[in-house]
Amino acid sequence: MISLLKFKIWTWLLLIRLSSPRRRGSSYGINVKRSLLVRASLAFLIFFSLPLSPSYAQQDAWSYTDDEQHPGQEETLDAEEWSEIMDSPPSAEDNDPFEPLNRLIFDFNAFLDMILIEPLSRMYYDLVPEFARERVGYALRNLSEPVVFANNILQGDLEGARITLGRFIVNSTLGVAGLFDVSTDWDLPYKKEDFGLTLASWGVDAGPYLVLPILGPSNARDAWGRAGDYALDPINWWSYYKNKGVYSYTRTGVQILDAKTENLELMDDLKKNAIDFYATLRAWYYERRKDLMHEKEERVALDTPRPDDDDE
Amino acid sequence: MLKKFLLGGILFVWTHGAIATVEREKAEAFMTEIGNRVITLLTNHSITQQEKAAQFQEILETKFNVKAIGKFVLGRYWKHASAEEKGKFLDLFMAATVACYATRFSEYTSEKFEVIGSRPEKDGGVTVLTRIVRPNGQPILIDWKIFEKKGELRIYDVILEGISMSITQRSEYSSVIQQGGGTIQALITALEKKAGRQRSR
Repeated sequence: MISLLKFKIWTWLLLIRLSSPRRRGSSYGINVKRSLLVRASLAFLIFFSLPLSPSYAQQDAWSYTDDEQHPGQEETLDAEEWSEIMDSPPSAEDNDPFEPLNRLIFDFNAFLDMILIEPLSRMYYDLVPEFARERVGYALRNLSEPVVFANNILQGDLEGARITLGRFIVNSTLGVAGLFDVSTDWDLPYKKEDFGLTLASWGVDAGPYLVLPILGPSNARDAWGRAGDYALDPINWWSYYKNKGVYSYTRTGVQILDAKTENLELMDDLKKNAIDFYATLRAWYYERRKDLMHEKEERVALDTPRPDDDDE
Repeated sequence: MLKKFLLGGILFVWTHGAIATVEREKAEAFMTEIGNRVITLLTNHSITQQEKAAQFQEILETKFNVKAIGKFVLGRYWKHASAEEKGKFLDLFMAATVACYATRFSEYTSEKFEVIGSRPEKDGGVTVLTRIVRPNGQPILIDWKIFEKKGELRIYDVILEGISMSITQRSEYSSVIQQGGGTIQALITALEKKAGRQRSR
């Protein structure tokens, strides 16, 4: 380990030497060549020194905390029961290679939330009675059913498509343009679908976690999913061809407000009890998407705490 | 041969089903009892806030397996924690959980707690499905993962709207540990700070 580190420092020094421009006796051409060479070797070095960087060293870090340091400690774990959890690399919900950038956008979103979205949402909650807010929520959901329908079809889920179509027809007519959700009482329950979930059903992995400006938690797959949903939505086509983008924007704005207000308490709760809200939300998002993915099928048994010999 | 096989199959299915239903009923009754206890506690205005918190702690200590949860939540770091760190962490984890539920329930007004069903899990536990009906807003779905150990039922996980609290917390704690340079002390410090903040509120 130490010799490797020495090697690294030595190479760095050498490279700094090489990359500092020579004042005299060098033509332009050589300089360019040299800087190319330097860049290439820099890239090479950075690439191969990654395993030595702190974040990668984490896994090795345990070699320092061996049992000599804690002589009184006994190995109480039932190896088989816990090995999956203990020895696994960071789990899928932590797949976050762009964490620094994500945290930056997360902070920006939190700031925006603080100065704009949350005050608006509180106002909406306080001023508009629950009955009216519920109507708005249902109307928005009804407008999103065509996209759900398209995704039902793309997933090959004809039963789902039938339900969604039934809902849309019933709620748009008897439910007064979607203001009332009549169809849930008719055994046509709402089930959220989006293009991210469609991609998942096609076998596309979630990919790295992403925080989108304003929109918040997402991942590579679901970000494409959002674009897909936008493209699938007839309302967006309509507002695009009629040159009335304002409808589409207004709807998105109200959607954000509605979602925010509906989840106000939940988010407050999460934030209050988190010590790292970013990480909480990241895991939360991952689990939530997984739950939506499996809602249709038999629920997968979650890998949760369980009894063992040493938990009294 | 075929008859024997069939009979065995039927017997297996029958006994298997029977055991599962008994357990499920027990688990549902267990959750109903806890729900009722918590609601009685919350609507009792004759005791102080501190007494309430103490009773909460008691319910949590006797009805949840906090050690198993804490262990799970610390994940791969548990194995490498010293006995002292483990003890400290579990105490702080317990305090954090009590504080979390205390704030959660302090806003309690007229919500109703309902057990809506249960389902046996492959790992031998039972998940009891419940919901909290709010006067304004959609009901909140909460599932409780329950195991029986030595004839005693305990809660091992709380699943809020399909999201396991333990998995979320495990991810959060591992992030705190990693940001703090890979030591469990970083998490302990963060939890202590959080507890201090909560006390001062």
